Amino acid sequence: MLSNPTFLFLQTFNAIALGMNLFIIAAGLTLIFGVLRVINFAHGAFFMLGAYVCYAIVERADNFWLGVLGAGLALACLAWIIERGLLRRLYARDPLMQLLFTFGLVLVLGDAVKVIWGTEQYSVAYPAGLNRAVDLGIAHYPAYLLFLCGLGPLVALALWLGLERTRWGRIMRAARQDREMLALLGVNVPLVYNGVFVVGAALAGIGGALAAPRLALTPGMDTNIVIECFIIVIIGGLGSLWGSFLGALILGIVTVFGAVLVPEWEMMLTYALMLAVLLWRPWGLFGREQG
Amino acid sequence: MRKIVAIGIALLGIVALAQPAWAADPIKIGVLYPTSGSGAVFGTPAMLGHQMAVEEINAMGGMGGKTPIVSFARDTKLKPATAAAAAKELITKEGVDVLIGGVSSAVGLAISEVARREKVLYIATIPKTIQMTTSKLHPYVFRTAPNTDTEGKGIARTMGQLGAKKLCQIQFDYAYGHDLAAGIAKALPQEAPGAEIVLDLKVKLGATDYNTYIAQIMGAGCDGVVSGLWGAAFITFAQQAQPFGFFQQVKYVSGGEIASHEIASKMKGNYPDNVWSNSYELWYHEASPLHKPYQQELARRQGRPDTDGWPVLSYIGVKFVEAAVVKAGAVDTEALVAALEGLNIETPVGPRTIDAKTHQADTGEFWGPMKKTDEHEFRIMDPITYIPGD
Repeated sequence: MLSNPTFLFLQTFNAIALGMNLFIIAAGLTLIFGVLRVINFAHGAFFMLGAYVCYAIVERADNFWLGVLGAGLALACLAWIIERGLLRRLYARDPLMQLLFTFGLVLVLGDAVKVIWGTEQYSVAYPAGLNRAVDLGIAHYPAYLLFLCGLGPLVALALWLGLERTRWGRIMRAARQDREMLALLGVNVPLVYNGVFVVGAALAGIGGALAAPRLALTPGMDTNIVIECFIIVIIGGLGSLWGSFLGALILGIVTVFGAVLVPEWEMMLTYALMLAVLLWRPWGLFGREQG
Repeated sequence: MRKIVAIGIALLGIVALAQPAWAADPIKIGVLYPTSGSGAVFGTPAMLGHQMAVEEINAMGGMGGKTPIVSFARDTKLKPATAAAAAKELITKEGVDVLIGGVSSAVGLAISEVARREKVLYIATIPKTIQMTTSKLHPYVFRTAPNTDTEGKGIARTMGQLGAKKLCQIQFDYAYGHDLAAGIAKALPQEAPGAEIVLDLKVKLGATDYNTYIAQIMGAGCDGVVSGLWGAAFITFAQQAQPFGFFQQVKYVSGGEIASHEIASKMKGNYPDNVWSNSYELWYHEASPLHKPYQQELARRQGRPDTDGWPVLSYIGVKFVEAAVVKAGAVDTEALVAALEGLNIETPVGPRTIDAKTHQADTGEFWGPMKKTDEHEFRIMDPITYIPGD
């Protein structure tokens, strides 16, 4: 099967498109963990909410890009409220409290989606202009998926530049290292935390909106994605941006080619991959050993 | 004091009026359709057909003019466990005489198992898995829906007429998908000689990302695809497949009633080319003298002239129960079982007979290509061929 060039070509692009879509979502998760040291189980729920908000906007305004923007903004607002009103009180507490809190959010947001949109399955059409196929020589490939393949590296680059080359990025990296020292230097650390949580959630929302045309919207769509995101950041190293990028790419390839070559083991393959990485490098491919 | 007595008597009178004194014992029907979740797209119209049949019969004074119907509806949520629990609850708590319904083969088998253990009559109006009337057959289950062998024959015959030889198959990985694949395999040598399935894909029920499978089919170079992806799954699949140029490359022949008006009206202009499929009923096709009055009443209830295709299944299920009650002159299970065996009735989509041995009705389906029209924004089947059941 792998000797068929059309097939290999299409599946490679499928793997990259899937990986890049997952990366945009997982980047938010790794960002939040990197700075806040909070494991956000509700990240999948943010993703789902993003997809539904996008659907709602597309239904009314008939503009997909407005839907993506709206999803990002909606999740940013929601994250601002959650961090300011609730999560902030838990930083000093037992990490178990934070886990329980974010898990509680999963249940609340999951039910909210069911209340607002019901349990029907929805789909979002590919955006105008990208709803056709592009001739890539060997085969035709959907323009929208090609767009996702290109968008992933751009988002990664933008985040990297933001983290490494701007004052805000420096503060964020400093907050990761030593928040008390940073506070002593006169930086408003709570504001930094709030900003990071908002950006992380917005990435999940945008990722959800971008995934909407690739998938169909169902109330249970958050559980799978949050597991995939955790696998990605564990493979790549918790808190590492490029680790997530590589982890997402690896997961995309394993998922797609696993489904083709060993369909019976598809589910297990990704877990086996995570297990192998954990045994070999418990801190992940790009993570730093914590001693 | 006198006032209180007067009020009391008045209240009693109201209660007495609400229950007509002349009515015989009603027949209690437990109804099991998914009215929420991804199955609701069919469960809701199925409920509508059920209610329509019940109200029609009760307006005439009940079954045979004397046995009114009381329905107890439960939402199966398309889950076998939920359906089985609901079926048990309907039997033990509500004391229903008959179970009716089921969408999805897995749910149908679960209800059937409860019916077997509790010795309660079950009319499967929608589930199609062949097992229900073969390996899992028991005295209390009857099927008025077509089965996967009939549907497989329909797919094979259509593909045979189209002349595609190199076939890919994509099916759901559960009872319905497996049994439909078996039905197609059984019928293919006779109906489409020379055609061969070169790629066989199994998809998890509830999957929403089909890109990998689409690429596999495109890479295999098939000129025909046989399938049974139904409901919202087909809508999602088609949306993802279209930008690949999928429907320009292959002839897509599918079961799962994706030619039904539910799907056609939902997809409108997004409905792909080169799709041949089936439907239980088509609002624009007069298959029986009973069709027009049926369709007009349904149109009134749905508030639009172009009505859905699935209500007819649940409608026929109730009509079979009525015919059995009239024939048996009783509502006890054994009498109804005896009456249903070999029973023949006229329905809005033609005459139907239940086989005495297999408990399977000879229900077939309408097959054909989905064509664009100038007068509607949705596609319609044209030309229409009826492929009967065995």
